[in-house]
Amino acid sequence: MNRSWDNILDKKLPDNMLRAALAQNDPAAVELMWDRYAGDLFAYLLVVLCSRHDAEDVLQTVFVRIVEKRHRLAKARNLDAYVYRIARNEASSFISRRKRGQKVKSLDESWLIMSEGHKEPDDMAEQLQTALARLPQPQREVIVMKIYRQKTFLEISRLLGLPQNTVASRYRYGMKKLRTLLENLIL
Amino acid sequence: MNDKDTQNEQLERFMRKTHLHKPSPELKEQITAEATKAWNQTSPELSWQIPVRRLLVSAAAAVFVIWLANSSSDYLLPRWQSGGLNYAHQQRSDLDELTEIPYSPLARHLVSARRKPSITNASALRNYADTVLRILDEAQQNRVSKPPAPAEGRSSLLPTQSGINSYS
Repeated sequence: MNRSWDNILDKKLPDNMLRAALAQNDPAAVELMWDRYAGDLFAYLLVVLCSRHDAEDVLQTVFVRIVEKRHRLAKARNLDAYVYRIARNEASSFISRRKRGQKVKSLDESWLIMSEGHKEPDDMAEQLQTALARLPQPQREVIVMKIYRQKTFLEISRLLGLPQNTVASRYRYGMKKLRTLLENLIL
Repeated sequence: MNDKDTQNEQLERFMRKTHLHKPSPELKEQITAEATKAWNQTSPELSWQIPVRRLLVSAAAAVFVIWLANSSSDYLLPRWQSGGLNYAHQQRSDLDELTEIPYSPLARHLVSARRKPSITNASALRNYADTVLRILDEAQQNRVSKPPAPAEGRSSLLPTQSGINSYS
C-alpha cells in the first residue's frame, strides 16, 4: 500500500470521536486508538529502542497504559502529545531496565527495510540503520518523524513538547552527522 | 546554505528509498486484545474522583508534615531547655565562687546586684554607689587591722604584706 495512504488512514480520525469513545468507556476506543497511533508510535519506538522486538513489547505496554489512563486522556488538552508522553516515558523506563541488564535483546536486528521498486543493494538499508543508530536519540527521533512519518517541525514540536527551533536544530545537526556517516553511500 | 539544503534533500531522497517496519496484523490483534482485557479489568475512573483523591492526598501530606514538625519540636525543645538551664546554673555557681575569695562582702554584694534587675533611677544608683564605697572602706579597714590568710589554692609564692616588708 502507498505510504501516503497509510498516513491518511492512521491519522485522520477526529479528536472528538476518540474523546467521546474514551469518555463513554467504550472498549471500541482501543481499535480507534490503534488506527490512529499504532503506526506513529511503532516508528517512534523503533528508532528510540533500535529493536523491533523491544518496540513491540513497549508498544503493548503503551497501549495498556493508555487504557488505564483513558479518562485523563479524554480530557487532555492535546491528545497526541499525551499519548507520545506515555510512549516516551515507557521507552525511557525500558531503556533504563535494559541498561541495568534486566532485559537484554539483540540490537542488531533490522528495523529499516528497502522499499519495493528500488534496486539499491540490500546492505544499504543496513548501513543507513547503523548510521541512524549512531546518532543521539533526540536527533534520531526528530529525523525519523520528519522523514519517515512526514511530520512538520511544528507537529513534532507539539508532539514532543519542545520549541520548534529546538526541533529544527536537532534535525539540522542530525542530518549533518548522518551525511558524514553516509558519505560513501550517498555519493 | 543552498549547498547544505541540496545535500539534505539528497540525503532525504536517499532515506526515502527505505522505510520502517510497520506493526503486523498479528501484533495488532495481540495488543488490542491485551488492551481490551486491561480496559475490562480497570474500573472506570469517575471524573469527580480525581480532584477528591488529590485533595485527600494533599490533606494527608499536610497532616504528616504538621505531625513531623510537632514531634521534632517535642524532641528538641526539652533538650534545648535543659541545656539553657545548665548554662544558667553554671553561671550562678561561678558567681557564688566569688564569695570564697577575699573581699567577700564586696563580691557578695556584686553577686546580689548582678542578680537584681538593673538600676534605673538616680537615687537608687547613688545608694548603690554609697553601699559599694562603704563596703570598700570596711574592707580596707579590716585589711589594715588583720591581713587575711591565703585562700586555699592560692599560690604561696605571692607576697603578703609582711613578705613585701621582708624584701625591703
